[in-house]
Amino acid sequence: MRRFVSALVVFSSLIQVAPCLGGTRPRYGGTLRVNMQAALVSLDPADANSADPVALDEISHLLFDTLVRLDGRGNPAPGLASTWRSDSGYQRWSFTLRNNVRLSDGTILTPQIATASLRSVNPDWRLVASDDGITIEVSSACPQLPMQIALTRNSIVQRDSGRLLGSGPFTLSSWQPGKHLILKAREDYWKGRPFLDEIDVDLNRNLREQTISLDLGKVDLIDLAPGQSQRTTSEGRATVSSWTNQLLCLVFRNGNPSEDEQKLREALALSVDRKALASVILQGDGTPAGSILPNWQSGYAFLFAPSYDLRRARELRDEVHLVTAWSLGYNGTDPSSRLLAERIALNAQDAGLRLQTSMTPNPDIRLERILITSPDTHVALDDVARQLGLPMPKLTGASTEDAYQMEKALLESRRIIPLLHVPANHALAGNVHGWSSQWDGGLGLADVWLGTSRP
Amino acid sequence: MGRRPRPCRCVAGDEPAVTLRRKLLLAFSATVFLCVLTVTWIVLTTTRRAFERLNEQQTEALIAQFRREFKRRGDEVMNKVTNIARNDSSARMAAAASTSSRDYAQFVGDAKDIADTQQLDFLEFADADGTIISSAQWPAKFGYKENDVPTTGPETNQSFLRREGLPDGSALSLSAIRRVEAGSAVLYVIGGRRIDRSFIASLEVPAGVRTILYQNLTPEFSRELLIDSSGEVARGEALEGVVRHVQIDRQEITQRVHWSSDSVDDEDIYAIPLSGHRGELLAVLLIGNSRRPYVEFSQRIQLAAMIVAGSGILLAILFSSWVAARVTQPVEQLAAAAREVAEGNLNTQVEVHSADEIGELADTFNRMTREILEKRELLVQSERVAAWRDVARRLAHELKNPLFPLQLTVENLVRARELSPEEFDEVFRESASTLLAEIANLKAIVSRFSEFSKMPKPQYQSVDINELVENVMRLFQAQFAAGSIECRVELTANVHTIAADPDMLHRAVSNLVLNAIDAMPTGGTLRVSTRQDRGRAMITISDTGQGLTSQERLQLFTPYYTTKKHGTGLGLAIVQSVVSDHGGKVTVQSEPGQGATFIIDVPDGLEKLPRENASGSNYSMRGESGA
Repeated sequence: MRRFVSALVVFSSLIQVAPCLGGTRPRYGGTLRVNMQAALVSLDPADANSADPVALDEISHLLFDTLVRLDGRGNPAPGLASTWRSDSGYQRWSFTLRNNVRLSDGTILTPQIATASLRSVNPDWRLVASDDGITIEVSSACPQLPMQIALTRNSIVQRDSGRLLGSGPFTLSSWQPGKHLILKAREDYWKGRPFLDEIDVDLNRNLREQTISLDLGKVDLIDLAPGQSQRTTSEGRATVSSWTNQLLCLVFRNGNPSEDEQKLREALALSVDRKALASVILQGDGTPAGSILPNWQSGYAFLFAPSYDLRRARELRDEVHLVTAWSLGYNGTDPSSRLLAERIALNAQDAGLRLQTSMTPNPDIRLERILITSPDTHVALDDVARQLGLPMPKLTGASTEDAYQMEKALLESRRIIPLLHVPANHALAGNVHGWSSQWDGGLGLADVWLGTSRP
Repeated sequence: MGRRPRPCRCVAGDEPAVTLRRKLLLAFSATVFLCVLTVTWIVLTTTRRAFERLNEQQTEALIAQFRREFKRRGDEVMNKVTNIARNDSSARMAAAASTSSRDYAQFVGDAKDIADTQQLDFLEFADADGTIISSAQWPAKFGYKENDVPTTGPETNQSFLRREGLPDGSALSLSAIRRVEAGSAVLYVIGGRRIDRSFIASLEVPAGVRTILYQNLTPEFSRELLIDSSGEVARGEALEGVVRHVQIDRQEITQRVHWSSDSVDDEDIYAIPLSGHRGELLAVLLIGNSRRPYVEFSQRIQLAAMIVAGSGILLAILFSSWVAARVTQPVEQLAAAAREVAEGNLNTQVEVHSADEIGELADTFNRMTREILEKRELLVQSERVAAWRDVARRLAHELKNPLFPLQLTVENLVRARELSPEEFDEVFRESASTLLAEIANLKAIVSRFSEFSKMPKPQYQSVDINELVENVMRLFQAQFAAGSIECRVELTANVHTIAADPDMLHRAVSNLVLNAIDAMPTGGTLRVSTRQDRGRAMITISDTGQGLTSQERLQLFTPYYTTKKHGTGLGLAIVQSVVSDHGGKVTVQSEPGQGATFIIDVPDGLEKLPRENASGSNYSMRGESGA
């Protein structure tokens, strides 16, 4: 946890938003205009098929709440649940709901609504609604249950005939899937009305358009691709970066590889010059990764230290008489993603591997950016496995050793080759104030307010 | 004029003869056809040569234009690369690349931005040892070596063709390279423009000409590497042969490519190898010159030639018909007249219309027929006189023999009456007997002459000549058996029946056999044979007698001519008369001392038979008269 705290300190130092550093009184009102690269077609936080879980996570925080939230340091803090406790075996957990919390349509949040919401996402749990809260029973000891409850996908949502009702600080005013949405501040939010009146989000905007819009003052907040933050900062724009809470990795479509295939995959892992990817393509916006979780989170990632060994990669390739040509898919809307994919293909070529970048729907290998959704090691690993569709090794305990074994098993499945840990980056206009430190680098727009002047 | 020429039959056979008019017609038509053919060939050859000259000129102009355009584009690229090399950012990049850290990160995107600004398709920055610092076309290639950097030699001041490696393959570029020196730091700027469809489209070519570029990027021919101004070349596999030739020989060639079975689609392809600065073959420029204009023009000429030739031949036929008619009509009249003369009509004249050679020939022909007619009249008169004289001589001879005994008997009666009346009665009885005998002799002579003058016309029947000969020989069988004459009958088997009067022909053959027997008083061999050939029947009677002199052969068939003591001289005349009445002829071959051979040659004459007698032999002998 000390490592985590120190990482938060580093993150805080990365926030370079001068106007928001005190000295200015917050004010209500105004519309925050946001551009996002993601083309969200669903706002359901439980949508496991979302093409951009990072964006979904950020929007979900504005519309929905969880029973337990994570504070700026990543510790569990009361959310919709005011208190919680467990039995001694960590199998039965009781959560007491906060009183007089209303959903966006004005109805009171009841234990039944919360139970139904959690049951839809966690069918293995035994959920019981009581007068003032809910009880969750799990099959095995789960001391991290509050951390799991804090995951965005466990947000309390009332699904009513296709409508999603939440208790978040904003309510959905307008929604064009994949294109545009407007969020309107709720006067009756249980934590108090947000400063902003509205948040206007344009979806599916490419990064170049976003940058131009920011320069022209047409937008207040934009995404930055990994590698863009340094240049953007050097050009005088305000940026905000999280710590490295995203994993850039190669994910193979097919599981259960043969022995030869495993050698080829290992050769590919050894052939990639991660340092060049991080330092040149991402301009230092990432660290080479050999593990799924970053070292600041797990503490054991150095045991999976990435190695760039072209000679060994060639040897492995030569041991296999299998001629394999892989297709490598990437996110076509992200220019750095394409560059990364081409560089990986070039590295693989050096090892005698045939890897061709491709935009086909089902490539042999995907270059993926995975959001690490929880500061808890076990919960994060479990969620990564869920996001990638990998079989989750059986949990044997809650210790670091157990987490290490679990991650090792995931890596040895040869379905995933970690490449880099990268942060989330945003650029914002000068009139945006009130950033709060989110543990995961989320936007925290509920506390943002707009200054009187625009740059 | 007025006489229409009859169709002439060839003497040698039954094949239709080609008339003079047809010959002239054919000659005129052939002459016109050959003339048109020759003119067409000359026009086509001239056109082809002109087209080929034009084609060569167009191709040369296009090649020159391509080279100019190539140089102009190359100069453009060189200028842009030079500008980039002179830019401060290049100097900074050179300085940064020379440091020990070699931090490429800050420059990795520069090449792309600069290339966009300078409108270059390809741009790379490489450090002194050729390591790529930044690449516009393949940004991920930083840190890799660039092979085209002349690290050991001077930079070139000219643009060159280059194969650019790309993430998804390779492309062809017109590139230039510049060296940047910032103090001790060295940087290479390599920029280029893609040689692609737009480059090809920028070449202005005349109608019917197109340019195709084959990018020699793979060892094997691939039609996807062929590009023209419209993009990918349809049915590009047809160009594989040309490209392969250039790949092997590395020389310019010209080849005709057949895009379809229609020659209109043919195209003359002029292929030029395009090499990189190391001499490697990077591309093949194909200049296609469509043969459509030439083929269509040629087809139009051929069509016109056919029309002209057809019209010419038609006109030639009409004109030559008229000319041939003008030329051949007098000749045909002469030919017709000559045929009439040949048929015995000597009173034939042709009309003379011109004073040329034909006119002179016609006049000569008329004069000739007139003279022949006059000579024939004279000949007939003289022959008639001679015949009467001969008849008179024969009559005198025939009648003198019986008259002389009559005179002696009458004189003997007168003398007996005067000298010995007592014996007169007895003398009278003897004389009366003698007188009656001689008178009977005179009557017999008169009767034979009368019989010769009353030869009947043949009554045609179907006659088997073998059967006829056998019947004749059967009459003389006893005579042969008793005498010293050997008889050999040689009959040809399977002879066809002929139309003849069996009695008359029997009589003629009998007369000849009798003559042969008379010609061999001391014995010999008599040969009788039959034969049929080409619608004619021949009966040959040969003896081994004393033979005939030439004078005897000439007079042999003259009536009342005989060499025998008791002959009337009518036997062979009757034979000739019979054979002649049958439309045939009788000939004799003989030399003194070598016997004689008589040949009766008659046509089968089946058309003379009544229909019911056309088949089978009706031969039966009515009787026999001696010669």
